[in-house]
Amino acid sequence: MAYSVHGPKAVSGGAGARLRRGEAFYLVEIVRGMAITMRHLLYNMFHSSTMPTLEYPDERPEHGPWLRGRHRLMKREDGSPRCVACQMCATICPADCISILAQDDDRPDVEKSPESFEINLLRCVYCGMCVEACPCDAIRMDTGIFELAADSREAFIVDREFLLNNTTDGVNR
Amino acid sequence: MNEMLTELGYTLGKIGFMLAVILGLLPAMIWAERKGAAYMQDRIGPNRASIGGIFRMGGLVHPIADVLKLVFKEDIVPAGVNRFFYHLAPFLVMVIALTTFAVIPFGDALYLGDKVIKLQVADLNVGVLYILAMTSLSVYGIVLAGWASNNKYSFLGGIRATSQMISYELNMGLAVMSLILATGTVRMDEMVQFQGHLLFGFLPAWGVVVQPLGFILFLVALFAETNRNPFDLPEGESELVSGYHTEYSSLKFALFFMAEYANMIVGAAIVSTLFFGGWQVPWLSTDLLRAHAGPLLTGSAIGATVLSFVFTAATWRHYERFRGRLGDRRELEPLILGILFFALGLATLGYVVFQKPWTIDSAMAAHFATVAQIGSFLLKTVFFAWLFIWVRWTLPRFRYDQLMRLGWTTMLPLALLNFFVTAGVVLLVNS
Amino acid sequence: MAKIIVDGKEHECEEGQNLFQAIKAAKGRPLPHFCYHPALPVAGVCRMCQVEIEGVPRPVIACNAQVKDGMEVRTETDRIADVVQQILNFHLLHHPVDCPVCDQAGECALQDQYMNYGLYEASVDVEDKIHKDKVKPIGELVMLDAERCVLCARCTRFTSEITKTHEMGIFNRGNHAEIDVAPGRTLDNNYSLNTVDLCPVGALTSRDFRFKRRVWWLENTPSVCAGCATGCNMTIDHSEGTVYRCRPRPNVEVNSYWMCDEGRLLYHRLHDEDRLRTPVVAAEEGPRTVDWDEAYARVQSLLTADGGETRRVAVIASAHATVEELHALGRFADGIGAAKIGYRLEGSEMGEADDLLVSADRTPNAEGARRLGWSQFLGEELRAQASSDTVLLVLKNDFAAFDENGVDLLSAYAGVVVLGTHQDATMDLADVGLPVLSYAESDGLFVNEKGRAQELHASIAGPESARHAVVVLAELGRLLGKEFGWEDPAALRRDLVATEAGWGALATGIDRTGVLLDVVSDGAAIGAESGSEGGGE
Ligand code: SF4
Ligand code: SF4
Ligand code: SF4
Ligand code: SF4
Ligand code: FES
Repeated sequence: MAYSVHGPKAVSGGAGARLRRGEAFYLVEIVRGMAITMRHLLYNMFHSSTMPTLEYPDERPEHGPWLRGRHRLMKREDGSPRCVACQMCATICPADCISILAQDDDRPDVEKSPESFEINLLRCVYCGMCVEACPCDAIRMDTGIFELAADSREAFIVDREFLLNNTTDGVNR
Repeated sequence: MNEMLTELGYTLGKIGFMLAVILGLLPAMIWAERKGAAYMQDRIGPNRASIGGIFRMGGLVHPIADVLKLVFKEDIVPAGVNRFFYHLAPFLVMVIALTTFAVIPFGDALYLGDKVIKLQVADLNVGVLYILAMTSLSVYGIVLAGWASNNKYSFLGGIRATSQMISYELNMGLAVMSLILATGTVRMDEMVQFQGHLLFGFLPAWGVVVQPLGFILFLVALFAETNRNPFDLPEGESELVSGYHTEYSSLKFALFFMAEYANMIVGAAIVSTLFFGGWQVPWLSTDLLRAHAGPLLTGSAIGATVLSFVFTAATWRHYERFRGRLGDRRELEPLILGILFFALGLATLGYVVFQKPWTIDSAMAAHFATVAQIGSFLLKTVFFAWLFIWVRWTLPRFRYDQLMRLGWTTMLPLALLNFFVTAGVVLLVNS
Repeated sequence: MAKIIVDGKEHECEEGQNLFQAIKAAKGRPLPHFCYHPALPVAGVCRMCQVEIEGVPRPVIACNAQVKDGMEVRTETDRIADVVQQILNFHLLHHPVDCPVCDQAGECALQDQYMNYGLYEASVDVEDKIHKDKVKPIGELVMLDAERCVLCARCTRFTSEITKTHEMGIFNRGNHAEIDVAPGRTLDNNYSLNTVDLCPVGALTSRDFRFKRRVWWLENTPSVCAGCATGCNMTIDHSEGTVYRCRPRPNVEVNSYWMCDEGRLLYHRLHDEDRLRTPVVAAEEGPRTVDWDEAYARVQSLLTADGGETRRVAVIASAHATVEELHALGRFADGIGAAKIGYRLEGSEMGEADDLLVSADRTPNAEGARRLGWSQFLGEELRAQASSDTVLLVLKNDFAAFDENGVDLLSAYAGVVVLGTHQDATMDLADVGLPVLSYAESDGLFVNEKGRAQELHASIAGPESARHAVVVLAELGRLLGKEFGWEDPAALRRDLVATEAGWGALATGIDRTGVLLDVVSDGAAIGAESGSEGGGE
């Protein structure tokens, strides 16, 4: 092992890394380090508006279309869910957070549809596997909503209607 | 009887002043730590908490919010702790931090009529030894916390604090002894008086000048004793969760947290007293200060006026530049502050014009001298407190074996060397 | 004996044996197939089981060939792979690929073969596919989707050869060939759900199981049907504490590959409303739910006469209980000196037998009860025991449902304690009702009418506060100051093998098909009863 009890010489870098003469006397290096931090401090004091920090709730981050945000269920033309309750998403979900009850659908072109469709957003790890797995493009994570807040655990278990009405503008809750 | 009561009153007043300094500096220190760290790391730092949705004061409200939060948090006492010591520890740490301040003189004597009041809570004849004693006592709180928590991490933190203290106490003691040799006294007030002299006619005889190596040794030891980075191993979160205060929550955690800053402030006060002339204003002895009080006061007032107007301009510019960005009341803050600065500038200007400060009488001059000295003392203290922060955000933490190596194999020989050389020089000079 | 060479490896088999079977035995897995089924006549219509035989110029289907000594077959050549792929492509030409909404998905032969031999590109657009009937209920329990059918003719062969009811047939020709029920008929025989099992694809699906649960979430527990004395082997498919379906488990000795619909649907009883989920005690306003301690306290007070001495006990066993439970009850009765009334009200729980599987005796373990020395009883015997000094203990027996005098008969007892699974007619008359685990929730043995002992395995956990009957009996014994020392059914089975004659066949363990117990010729009880058993044969 590279571990050594013989002080900074042996462990300050890879094999063969030796402190230059004078570096072992910490004080000079310390002062140089302090000069660097002070330079940053002074610069930032007068250029605070150029700092890369995003003033988050006031400024919204920009994100690409690949962001996996809160799920939404896609609709058919008549407004009913496109989902056919095949349970592929529930099967693939590594967090086991989707639960779907299937039902017989009477409509001539729809054989099976979700009677209930719940996602536990607290459990979800936002991996996007459900979107990948869906054979019907019925579930997407393109809403851009990435914030989660509610005042009870139950409120995070969202149902079919909630998911159907999620929109893509990224601000609708 | 009456005498004693007034004595008591003065002492209480001095204690009150001292507490006000420390407790007033505390939130400012926390703020400086967070904001300073942020700016050194190119971040913005705390800026959310506000008063009335307007005043954010660059994050100064955060320490207050933090304390409020900590006060109202649930106080969790884990099962299996040694209750007595567990509850005692945080108070011990805080109390010791505060009492150390007692022997530090924060100004020359104050003359009220014919009364002379020493600006020092307790004028002990062994002041320096008292400081050494108290700083080593402070580790007891940490050790007790670590042991009473019944948690291996806390315990390890406590043990680290102990061994660290023992290793560095020695160096600190030797550094202080060299200083004592050089100044020839163990009284704090005399030490400060000593540093009022000029060496060779131009160099203030500050401890740092007569004992440069002693100063460095003392400073390093002080960092170790206050458990500040780069020697904050007792709470090394990478390996000990958060060390001796892992099991503390709510107000008791706040006590540990604040005691750390109180220790820093006290440490800073000790360094400035021992090595940087305490309340002495360099090149201006008390007499000189009194003699030239008029011009000095006028100069300060004019300076304050100019600064106030500069700030007014700066805040106004800020207001203009950022108007409409946030879209709420927070935008008003620079405007209101600007108005306040402007009013301040007008006030000082008015003072200069109407009160004619260059004409003050000798009693007022004496008070001016005292205030200037207290200001000098506070300035030095604040600088060294800031040094603690500055170092923390510059250096990484030492590894434990490095810490021990540094203490025993580098600093101890240096301290001994320094001690003997000083003793030799003093012997030569005196004989 | 004949030797064949399968893919270069020698294999021993019977001369004239079906080649498909021989290859399956040799390779340890079957050839790709849809239509071949060991219990149905060979049809050879799906053409999937192609193999190359040395000396035969073209690939041939294995299911329609016989083993000849020295035959050399190859099943894994490129040519075979190509042929099978082309044939599979034909099967899929007009297939709707409904997998998301198809209940067969996950256990579909088409999916499985596709993974191995699929072309992975569609040759016909969805719009151009030929459409046939979808979502067509062809019987009480079976749903047809003709588009998914691969025309393997298993279902038609089953209805013509096994049930001989001839409901199903293939209509039209070529691309338009379509499976359906004959005009005016519905698929409503008592074995209709076997067609669902047989169907390799999702053309026939169970209306009972439809959309309830995806099959890959089901756990499978081997068990035995409790519907009649035939003891059909079955698999209980369950998940998260709920049974979703039962399917026959092949056992040529008992049920071949089949099972009747009635038996399959019996699992619904497990989750019925009237399932007894907590102990109950009789009260003014009807049964009141209590906890076990209170129930036992009530039993204790029933057992204690006014004078303080312990009352007599009479016990009734059941042909629904497992062998272990019956043995426990027997030892319990002997241990406390209780009168053993019998296991069944004479003549009750009998129905019509059919000529395939269903037995007239609608209890699963009458033979087991007889072999353990229990007999049938008459209403009079029950009355004869009745006295205000006797407490009646009933195990899983609902005789009150068959005797309208039940109320009078039972009210003459000092108390009635029933260990049961449901709030049934007898439970209604009980002073204390104790919930016990059912056949699907506990391990145990049933002995079918031919004397074959077959194992049940616990599938789901059962109601939370229900206990195993043998555990309850042990605890009741403790109430009476008697320590029996068994903890679970396994202990009782060991005890049974060690102490009773006729159960020695169990000593060496028991496999999935069960063991035939020794014929017991002595024992008056057995001799006396065998007559009434004949009805079903
Ligand atoms: S994103 Fe991942 S974890 Fe969340 S529901 Fe989909 S599959 Fe599950
Ligand atoms: S995978 Fe798609 S179609 Fe299937 S259940 Fe999930 S959302 Fe519905
Ligand atoms: S029969 Fe098989 S391949 Fe066809 S839709 Fe059903 S599961 Fe899919
Ligand atoms: S319905 Fe099923 S069993 Fe019947 S022919 Fe079609 S695929 Fe075969
Ligand atoms: S299995 Fe041989 S042709 Fe179908």
